[in-house]
This record gives sequence, structure tokens and C-alpha cells, in this order.
Amino acid sequence: MKVWRNFVDLGAGLWTTLRQIGRISTVSYPEEPLNLPPRWRGRPTLTRDPDGDERCVACQLCSAVCPTRCIELQAGERADTRRYPLTFRINFSRCIYCGLCEEACPTLAIQLLDEFAFSKEHHADFIYEKDALLIDGTGKHPHYNFYRHSGVALGDKDKGQGINEKAPVNVRSNLP
Amino acid sequence: MKHVFFLDGQETPFIPGQNVLEAAIAAGQDRQIPYFCFHPALGSLGACRQCAVKMYPHDSKHPPRITMACLLPASDDLQLVTLEADVHTEHREIIELLMTNHPLDCPVCDEGGQCHLQDMTVQTGHSVRHYSGPKRTYRNQDLGPLVYQEMNRCITCYRCVRFYQDAALGEDFGVFGSRNRVSFGRLEDGPLESPFSGNLVEVCPTGVFTDKVFRHDYVRVWDLQQGPSVCPHCAVGCNTTPGARLGTLRRIRNRQNPEINGHFLCDRGRYAFPYVTAHSRPLQPRLKGETSRQEAVLRQLASRLEEGRSGFLGSPREDLQSNLGLFALADCLHAPFAAVTSSWAEALAQQCLALPQAPSLQEVAAADRIVVIGDLDSIAPMAGFAVRQALGRGARLTVLASSRTGLARKGDYRPLRPSALPDVVSRLADDPCLQGGRLPVLLATAETLGPAGLFALRKTLEKLPANARAGAFVNRPNLFGAAYFAADGHTERLQQALRQREIHHLLCLGADPLGEDWGAGTWRTLSPGLDGLALLDMVDSQTARAAEALLPVAAFPERAGLFVNYEGRIQAFAPVYRREAQVLHSAVHGSAFPEAAGGMKHPLGPPPPLFWLGRLAELLQVHEAWQQRLDFYLHFLCPTAPDPESPGVLLPDTLRARFAIAALPTTPTVESGQWELDIFRWYGGETLADTAEDLQSLAPLRGLRVHPDVQAEWATLQGPCGQLHLPVIPCEDMVQGVIAIDQEGFAELGLYPGDPVEVTWEQGS
Repeated sequence: MKVWRNFVDLGAGLWTTLRQIGRISTVSYPEEPLNLPPRWRGRPTLTRDPDGDERCVACQLCSAVCPTRCIELQAGERADTRRYPLTFRINFSRCIYCGLCEEACPTLAIQLLDEFAFSKEHHADFIYEKDALLIDGTGKHPHYNFYRHSGVALGDKDKGQGINEKAPVNVRSNLP
Repeated sequence: MKHVFFLDGQETPFIPGQNVLEAAIAAGQDRQIPYFCFHPALGSLGACRQCAVKMYPHDSKHPPRITMACLLPASDDLQLVTLEADVHTEHREIIELLMTNHPLDCPVCDEGGQCHLQDMTVQTGHSVRHYSGPKRTYRNQDLGPLVYQEMNRCITCYRCVRFYQDAALGEDFGVFGSRNRVSFGRLEDGPLESPFSGNLVEVCPTGVFTDKVFRHDYVRVWDLQQGPSVCPHCAVGCNTTPGARLGTLRRIRNRQNPEINGHFLCDRGRYAFPYVTAHSRPLQPRLKGETSRQEAVLRQLASRLEEGRSGFLGSPREDLQSNLGLFALADCLHAPFAAVTSSWAEALAQQCLALPQAPSLQEVAAADRIVVIGDLDSIAPMAGFAVRQALGRGARLTVLASSRTGLARKGDYRPLRPSALPDVVSRLADDPCLQGGRLPVLLATAETLGPAGLFALRKTLEKLPANARAGAFVNRPNLFGAAYFAADGHTERLQQALRQREIHHLLCLGADPLGEDWGAGTWRTLSPGLDGLALLDMVDSQTARAAEALLPVAAFPERAGLFVNYEGRIQAFAPVYRREAQVLHSAVHGSAFPEAAGGMKHPLGPPPPLFWLGRLAELLQVHEAWQQRLDFYLHFLCPTAPDPESPGVLLPDTLRARFAIAALPTTPTVESGQWELDIFRWYGGETLADTAEDLQSLAPLRGLRVHPDVQAEWATLQGPCGQLHLPVIPCEDMVQGVIAIDQEGFAELGLYPGDPVEVTWEQGS
């Protein structure tokens, strides 16, 4: 009885293999484009918010979480007090595409998009500076703008004009 | 007897009088008790309701109850629990209430990573807020160039106002509004007036007050290189923690040393650091004004020294080893050496050293009768802070000064001309202001009091009870260390040698004899006899511009060294970072990574002065003797080298005793009707601090301060070394007949505080 059971199992396995006959799953990349899943973790990029401004606020969480310490940035300050990355540098010869930076990014700036195969002649060429990382688009999150949610005032957004905010308090008033 | 209570079954030691939270923090067991409004230096308030613990009574009649740890006095065998579900629920719910209106700002908040609120929220496990309604917002205030306000983040712990009003006795900051609309700030926009405003940044448990200077060149705290250092901006020697990244210094935080600076630091100590990154800072060796290779400069300097006609000038601005290194080199070459730039300053140093053991700031804060002579806040703000703490504990304060200073407003003010100070000080022992006290303390700004006044202070101290203490302050970090080996007429001898053409070359270390150091007027008249001048310094100065050879030196956070503070406490500081890594900062400085070789002329940054002196000794082939002498002097002054993390070691009294024989210095005679000079300083004014732009934007106008009964717009002062044309700034607080000018003015005139001066008043310019 036990022997027969083994034959059935063997046959089931063989059937799985035989079922694939006739199906073609080889893609002749790079002639044919790949159909990558949306959660594919390719090369990290810096995206822009729906208004076209860069999303990164140089909070340095990505560089803190990066297990290979391949992200390095220096914060700068614009005239309107908005923080932005003065330099933003990823060393792709160290990047392991783990996506922790994307998970950590509170402003959805850093996103791992679908570029995955790129080769260079020199290691130094793998050090991508900010102008090479920043793309002209919102990436996977078309509507999110961090500054609409945060409490700080910025440019034309005054205190109390953010999402889910009350008008500024009048601290001079003693009325109930 | 050891007192303990039990926190979650763990024995927690306490000192009677402490509360439970204080003892738990001191014992390092505060991980279980979150808190906000409690601050070790500001005490308990019980406002935030966060530090709940469950207390089990000793008897079985009463049920256990939840109470606030910061309001519960610690008592023996108290049984406290925090790990039970109801205590944890209380912690979590209170955090959630405090976080109701807290904005989602952490990515753009400078407090992130060092935020007490963040820590406590994570610690209690609160992660999802149930409240989904709109959040309260506030408009921010502009609080000047040092502190940045973002009022939305406030959790109303009142720490800021308790610090600013109760501890620092500031008047221009307070709490406004009512109920849940409470706001903390000034009545209207404007810079904070207190010299301690920067502490708001450290006191605030969240990001309402953040460091505005750090903000311009921000980096998260986890990326900072930090280490133990000592503040180089005055004689108090507060312990600091500089933070640097990529070879540039970004910020200074307080490092607690219970005997000097507890939890706070003055604004000069906190915001004067940009001298390290100033554009004017010399970074490469210069020969006759041109950038040059270091070997060329060293060889040129060595050939100068070989002639045997050089003088050596140290500085109280430089650390102990560097001064001793220079002294040892002078000794090897049998050349004259002086540590200060004028005989007046030397007499001052001598009298400072002769004063018996000065009080630590902790002792000042515990004093109950305090006499302050001169404007203490502008010389050593943290000493002024200790006086404020004593005032908060009920001390009686008497201020002797020629103008109504910040401290004078807090106590009895006795307006006095500087020349009258020695007389008044010598009679202080019988003065009612010191009577009936348990611990009388006299604090003086050395320059205002002058050598004669310091002598009188020492004599007064002998008449006071044995526990009375006196301290004298200057705004140099190392007067004691520099002056120790050169306080017997050395400056006079050096100047005499120059006058008689015995020497025609001068090697200076961190001194500015042609600029704003004391006695600069005399040096300027002597400078035609100088064939060449070499300087080792870290800031740009008039002397640096005039120097034939300039060797840049590492800034204090970039090297190790020793400072001897006003009490004679030898404190060590450690190198915190190296300047070399700055080259990684490519996009900022316009070039990519440095070329493998020869890309940068001096990628290592300037070395410490001892390196230069050692190389010179080597070139002069005296390095063995030099090293021996240096080791000998160092061992003599400081047999056990202190550790940067330790509170420092005090100079033995026997070493100071040799200065006690110093004779009474001569006093200038001022006749009635003559104008008299006093020094005007402000809390941010100091040679290194002068290059810190943000701090200096608060500097008062330069001019001549005089009582408004003088009707003039300009004045010309005539001194032995030159004249000075200054705008007149009428100042209500000045004593009549006294003119206050800054140190640069004194240097120009060749005069000292308390000297009479000839004035010509002018209308219009």
C-alpha cells in the first residue's frame, strides 16, 4: 500500500513537469522588454511631489537605515527655510536593493523603480549624485505631498492650511 | 546608612530629599518611567502626568495606588511597580493625549533622533492615534538668530519658561494664552535677550526650540562625531560636546560636569564655534602673506630662530602644553619668553594666581552672600548663571560696577567708578552685605577690578571667615596655565629686550600683540624694531596679517590639550574630529573627490602647535632637550594628567603659594573731574567668538558708552599710544564720569581699565 502511495506522488510530480510542455517562459531580454511586477525593487530614485518640487527633505532616515551605508547626503536650507538635500549620493556598487530606504522614507521621495540592470566600467561611475537620482515624476505615489500633511508653514501654505489642521490659535485671546 | 527603595523589585539607592524619579534617573533606572516636565536642574512640576508609578503601601489596609514619581518623595523600602498593565495603560494614554495635536513633522524637525518625546512615545508603545480630528496650530515667532521656534510641536511641559524665568532669571520670555491654547515665547518677535537662551534647545523635550545655527548646516545626531571637549571661550572652562561631520564642526552641546556647568551652557559657549569654519581662518602656512609649503615656512622660521635674536610670546588663549612647548623652546634657545602681552596683564595674572582656591560654580550656586564686581555676565556668563541659581535659593547679591549690569538688576547695585573699586573692596570685610552669611562668595571680573583691586580682594578674603571664597574671571580659557611660568616681569623684560635691540624677531603663539590684546599699543610702537614676526594661530588677526611667517594650528575640538580654569582646575579635552574628511564634501566645495595625490595641498588640516614647535626644535637640533623640558614642566604642573571624561584635577595650593608674595601693584591716580575708563563687553564678545556671524549679529554697537548728561555725538580719546575717534552712545546705566570702551579701544590707546583719559567731545562727525 505504501509503495503505491509513493508511485502516486511521483506521478503527480511528473505531471506538473509535463504540464509545462509547450509553454515558453524564456524572454529574450534585452530585445524583449520585461514585464516587471509593480513592487519590483530596482534602482532607487528621488521623486518629485505632484507640484513638481523635489520630495526629499534630507531627513537622513534612508542613510541611517541603509545596511550597506551606501547613501550619503548633506542637508541644505532654502531661503524659505525648507530643508532639501544639498548633496545626495548613492554608491550603487554597494547597494543591495533591499528597499529599506524606500520603507524608511517618510516623504515617499526615495522609490525603487524598475531599472535593474546597469553596468559601468569603473566603480567610481556607480556613485550617483543627486542630479542623476532625481527624476521628473512622482513615481508610484502620484498624489502625496508631505508638506500638505506636516505642520510647518512653507511658501504659500500657511499655518492651518495643511490637511486636517485648525486655523492658528490666537494666543492673545482669553475667551473660552 | 544606605537608603534604598524598590522599583519593580530592583533596589534603587537614593539620597534623602530626592524624589522617586530623580533617584531612578540617577541610578540609571529611568527606562521604566517615562517623564516630560521633570528636569534634574529645574525640578518637579507634576504637569505632564507621565511618570506614573504604582505604590504598594506597607500595610494591607490600603489598596495600591498610582501616583506621580516626580512628586513622590523617596523613602526607605518603598515598593513601586511600573510593569503592571494599569501603569502601562496610564503611560500609553497620557502619551496619546500629549500627542493629540503633535504634528507629523519628524522628518523636517531638527529634534528628530535626539527627541525626548520620540523616545518616550516609542518606549511606551504608542503608535496609532485614535483621534482623527483637526490639529491645533500656532504661528511661530522669530526669536533671533540663535533659536528657532516651531510652536505646533509643544506639549506644554513648561520646561522652557521654568528655565528661562526661574533658572536664568530672564524677563523677555514667558507663557501666553489660556487653556489648551497656551503658547511660549516673547511678547513680540525679536532676539532673546538672555545670554543663556540657547539652553531652550536642550531643555525643550521636543522640537519647539531648535538650534538655528545648527539648522543652517544640519546633520542628524546619529551621524555626528562627538567627543569630550572644554569650552575655550572663557576662564570657567565649561565641559562641552562638540559634534562634527565630514570634517566640519556643526554644533556644541553641554556636557555635564557637576562642579562647573551642570545642565546648561551660555550662548557664547554654544554659538561661538564657527571660528573653526570661518572663511578668514588661516588653514595653510603663509610666508610674507603668500601661501607657502610648510617646510619652506619652517626652514625660514628656524633660520630666524638660529640667529639667536628672537623673543617668544605665549598666550592665555592657547592650551597648557602649547604654552609650555613654547616656553621649553625659548628655554632651550635662552631666549626671553612672556605669556601675556603687557605688564599690567601680567600683574593681573599674578594676582589671579595668588588668590587662594576659588569657588567652583557649584559652590557659587550654594552661596548665600555674594558680591559681584564688574560685569560678570559679559566675561563669564556661566558664573553669572551660578549667581542666578544662588539668587533663586535666596542668596543676597551685591553688585559693584560702573554700570547697571544684568546682574545688578537682580540685587543691590552700588554704582562705583573703577578707580574706587580697590578701596571699596578692601573695606568689604566689615560691609553689611557680607555679614550673617553662611557661605560668602566674592566674584570679580579681573580686568575691571585690576591688579590693585585683586590684591585688595585677597587681603579682604583673609579677614573673612575661613569658608569665604573669591574668584576672578577673564575671558581667556587658560590664564592660569599660560601665566604660571611667566609671571615675574617677563613681559617687561621681553619688551625691554626689543627696545634695546637685543632681539628683533618675535615668535607668537595665539597672541595678537598688534591687534586687540592688552598692551597692543605698546607693541605697535615697538613693532618698527621688529624685523620679523612669526605667529601660530587659528584665527585671522592683525598680527596674522602682519606676520612674516604664519603657521595655522588646529582648532580646539580638533586636538587634545589641557586648560587651567579660574579655580586652577586642569581639564583635558580630546580631539573630536579631523579636518581632512572635509574633502568628501564635494558638491559644496565645487570639486569631486580629491585626486589621489597632490589634489589637496594640506589634506590633513592644520596640526596642533606642539607639532610645529617640535618640528622647529628638530630643525634647530634641540629637540631632545626640548622634549625633556616639556615633559618636566608638564609633570611639575600636572603630575597626574586628567582624563577628558573626568571632572579635572586642581592645581595644588603649594604651586599657587609662590604668587602670594606678589607685592601691591601700583594704582593709577584719578583726580576728580577727570574722565575714567572702564571696559565694555558683551556676553558674545571674545576673540574666537568674534568670527561667529550668527552670534555677532546680536552684538551691540561699537562706540563709547557714557552717561547721557554728556551732549556730544563723537568723542576723541587721547592715550599714550594713540588716539581713538568713536561715536558716543548715551547709556542711562553708566556712572557719571566713566567712559566705557571695548578692549580694542584700550589696545589702541595703550590704557587700562581705571586709567584716567583725556576726552574731546564733538558735535556731529
